[in-house]
Amino acid sequence: MGSGKRIPTSLASPADSTMEFGETEASEASSATPPASPLTTDVVITHEDIDRAHDRERVFLARARRGIFSRFRLLWLLVGPGILVMLGENDGPSMLSYATTGSQFGIGFFIPFVVLTFFMAVVVQEMTVRLGSATHRGHAELIFDRFGPFWGWFSLVDLGIGNFLTLITEFIAIRAGLGFFGVPPWIAILGALAVLYLALVTHRYWTWERISLAAAAFNLVFIPVAFLARPDWSSVGHALMTWRPLPGGLTKSTLLILLADIGATVTPWMLFFQQSATVDKGLTKRDVRFGRIDTALGAALAATAAVATILATAPLFIHHMSAEHFQAAEFAQALEPLVGRFGAALFALGMVEAGMVACITISTSSAYAFGEVAHQPHSLNLPLRQGKSFYLVLFLCAAAAGAIVLIPGLPLVYVVLVVNVIAVLAMPPALVFLFMLANDREIMGDLVTPPLVNVLASSVVIFLTVAGILFGISVVAPNIFAFIGGK
Amino acid sequence: MPHERHEHEPLTSSDQELVLSSLERDQLAAAKKQPIPRRKLRGFEKFIFWSLRIYVLFMIAVVLYQVLAGAR
Repeated sequence: MGSGKRIPTSLASPADSTMEFGETEASEASSATPPASPLTTDVVITHEDIDRAHDRERVFLARARRGIFSRFRLLWLLVGPGILVMLGENDGPSMLSYATTGSQFGIGFFIPFVVLTFFMAVVVQEMTVRLGSATHRGHAELIFDRFGPFWGWFSLVDLGIGNFLTLITEFIAIRAGLGFFGVPPWIAILGALAVLYLALVTHRYWTWERISLAAAAFNLVFIPVAFLARPDWSSVGHALMTWRPLPGGLTKSTLLILLADIGATVTPWMLFFQQSATVDKGLTKRDVRFGRIDTALGAALAATAAVATILATAPLFIHHMSAEHFQAAEFAQALEPLVGRFGAALFALGMVEAGMVACITISTSSAYAFGEVAHQPHSLNLPLRQGKSFYLVLFLCAAAAGAIVLIPGLPLVYVVLVVNVIAVLAMPPALVFLFMLANDREIMGDLVTPPLVNVLASSVVIFLTVAGILFGISVVAPNIFAFIGGK
Repeated sequence: MPHERHEHEPLTSSDQELVLSSLERDQLAAAKKQPIPRRKLRGFEKFIFWSLRIYVLFMIAVVLYQVLAGAR
């Protein structure tokens, strides 16, 4: 708190109302101004607070104005963490999982199934929006405070190991995607680290968020690739309506892909990232509705990109091309005769983007969690000097993961497999912590999960937890599912 | 364009006013140093936590075994 300043002052909290989208100008203008219920205390103000206050001031101004343009401006100001977390989760391994799904099963059951998994992701991630807005605390911090350091450390170690290993797979995707264009691995890794560094040196949450969102928008390059693959749109419609066909029926490999696709949608880092980003952005209880829109919008975009990836690789299924063990560049090469050089290049670029955005968001989630637990300053609004430990953790995690990818002879395919398994294994405990926190009335107040939503949320948590456990078992003991179809 | 602040720029009274009028009290960085009180876990909650922890540790041990076996 070196540059913080202690000010004896009358501190008034801005309104804690739960006013929603579309309220009147008069009521908004009145609640945009802090109420005159002062609390006399000594307050330490930091540069981080001032940067966040500037962001909030723009939100107050937009909220105080009437008209559709102001509504959209307000939405523009408040979206970010939800879109980033959803498009960030469309990372290298996830896109490979969707590509494998398309190449092995074509257009059918998995199109609506992937859409359903993103719906489940919205249910889970919405809880982090409410948690962050109600408590103004990050996820790791809340677990430590509410459940104690014993459970907190377990949770943090799960996250730290999972994040680091996942970061390795993101650099594998970047390396493989750029490899399609003949870029040497070391240039690919250094380039990715340079992009990460450039986003950070602004030491401003808003700028970092907009740069990351711009990068994340490239996840949608899978959409033109899907169009270039000329899918049969009537089959797509039929699949969405009937959840069919499912080639081969329910076999062991079908179940594995099914579980992998679930695991590709919700992972522990997403919970930690979105809650911490919600806090860093400065969202309050009044903004929860916009946080929900942000999350749903992110899920819609990510689901579109995921379905597009399945459609893009579906021709490989039609042409009976085995793609079970393909990596990013191999998919692009295999698709080239079907979607042309341009389509294949877009596919490879999409893989690079998937790895890059996930690299940014995952390393940031690690740094947030470290700062929250170590009680060190943790915000993307921190000047470099004040946030030394935060930025160091963020950058060093990424740099170390990038360096590992450059080790000659490393079995990268095997690394991706192990990483996915560990990420999914850590999911059930993370979901249970989340569910308990979101139902904790002492910290959530009126934002506690409502009973009806709780039924939905608990069903999703139970489903994802069981799926995570099954996926974990299936990978470590694959023969256990041999009774299903026997294949 | 968002306000860009230089690291060494001193805090002004308008900054203070802005912070106090725009942020909720518990949004201030200093306020977050105050821990949230711990809750007492019930028996069933402890059982769930321990079951999941044992599951994770067991499965990670199996994964590590497979990695080492694969390396050989």
